[in-house]
Amino acid sequence: MSAALAAASVADEYRVVIDGAALFDRSDVGRLRLRGEDALDLLERLSTNALTELAVGEGISTVLTSNKGRIIDLLFVLREPDSLLVLTGPQTRAKVADWIEFYTIVEDVVIDDVTDETTMLSIAGASAAALLDRVVSPGAGDTSLYRSAPVTVGDADATVMRTDFTGAPAYDIVLSASSAGSLRERLIEGGATPVGAEALEAVRIERGVPVSGKELGEAYNPLEAGLKGIVSFTKGCYVGQEVVARLDTYDKVQKHLVGITWDSDALPGPDARVVLDGKQVGVVTSAVRSPRLNSSIGLGYVRKAQAAPGTILTLELEDGEVQASVAALPFVPSP
Amino acid sequence: MHVREFAEQAGKPGANLRVGVKGGGCSGLTYVLDLVEEFGEEDKVIEQHGLKLGIPRKSYVFLAGTTLEYSGGLNGKGFVFNNPNAKTTCGCGTSFGV
Repeated sequence: MSAALAAASVADEYRVVIDGAALFDRSDVGRLRLRGEDALDLLERLSTNALTELAVGEGISTVLTSNKGRIIDLLFVLREPDSLLVLTGPQTRAKVADWIEFYTIVEDVVIDDVTDETTMLSIAGASAAALLDRVVSPGAGDTSLYRSAPVTVGDADATVMRTDFTGAPAYDIVLSASSAGSLRERLIEGGATPVGAEALEAVRIERGVPVSGKELGEAYNPLEAGLKGIVSFTKGCYVGQEVVARLDTYDKVQKHLVGITWDSDALPGPDARVVLDGKQVGVVTSAVRSPRLNSSIGLGYVRKAQAAPGTILTLELEDGEVQASVAALPFVPSP
Repeated sequence: MHVREFAEQAGKPGANLRVGVKGGGCSGLTYVLDLVEEFGEEDKVIEQHGLKLGIPRKSYVFLAGTTLEYSGGLNGKGFVFNNPNAKTTCGCGTSFGV
């Protein structure tokens, strides 16, 4: 396929994500099942957000941090009747499981990595709710944001979560891997359009959503990554709390996750440098051609002094330098 | 001496002190103090100065060599842990990292 055809294909898929019913396979997201009466309390003590009031059927994002306040991973924790379903980043499930296991000393907590035995299919777009009601279970499309509903797919139990990860209505379905093939077929027969990773990546970057391995990792803390909204400053101690609280209180955050735009179709390579007067002031962590904005956009970290929207910097591409501009996130607000 | 005072104030005269570690706290691990009537099967029991101290076996690896002192200083009264296994400690003194 030519580059122009590929771009047109991504643009078509992108429109489905917003206006239609797009079907993604998001099985690369890690899925851990935590059982035991201390599971929620342990996560409360290991991560940034206040979790103890989480109701059954409710989910919340939280950041697992090191004792230096650095990001181990961004988690989504769903409380189910007898366990917690913890979604990790792609490729980080083993690290997260080992991290929680290390801090499980006297607590009643058992961790099962259920990633391989389950599949995570996602339906997103304006028609997603109606499709879910029709194909999966009547009423499933009425699930509120960050809530879940138990459903039955074939003979197997499954969970529908509404996470709106695309900015538009979006639902994740976690079900046994053996049931996933038939559900996928039924969703497509019902009108869903399979969409590839490239369109999903465009949506993610437009919305300024950080992901493990790119914007999130031990090189950064939650305040630098724009995750202050899921840091509780009142709940008390968690691992790294003292460092995170000090950074916030004394305004010591050194760099910020920002949007970056440049006037070229070329995309930068991994960790491309952002410079000012010949000195590096930042790095681009993700980049894409935005179907919505019809321009090149990226996410990256720049020093605090250069983080204001509109700041003019220089981006190093593989074939030369180009003028770049800092942009506020998200690039595209939720519809 | 202070342990016996606390036990009486807590309405548990004669109770023993159980010292453990759980995950969490600023530096990663947090000390846990309990007054218990009886130790569990999994507790390692140490006797010193006529006092019995129980340590859950899973916590012992983090506490080996630790001395427990009582401080009545300006920062408030309480037990202070001097733990040779702690590479980092947090400001409040109840959390440590290894």
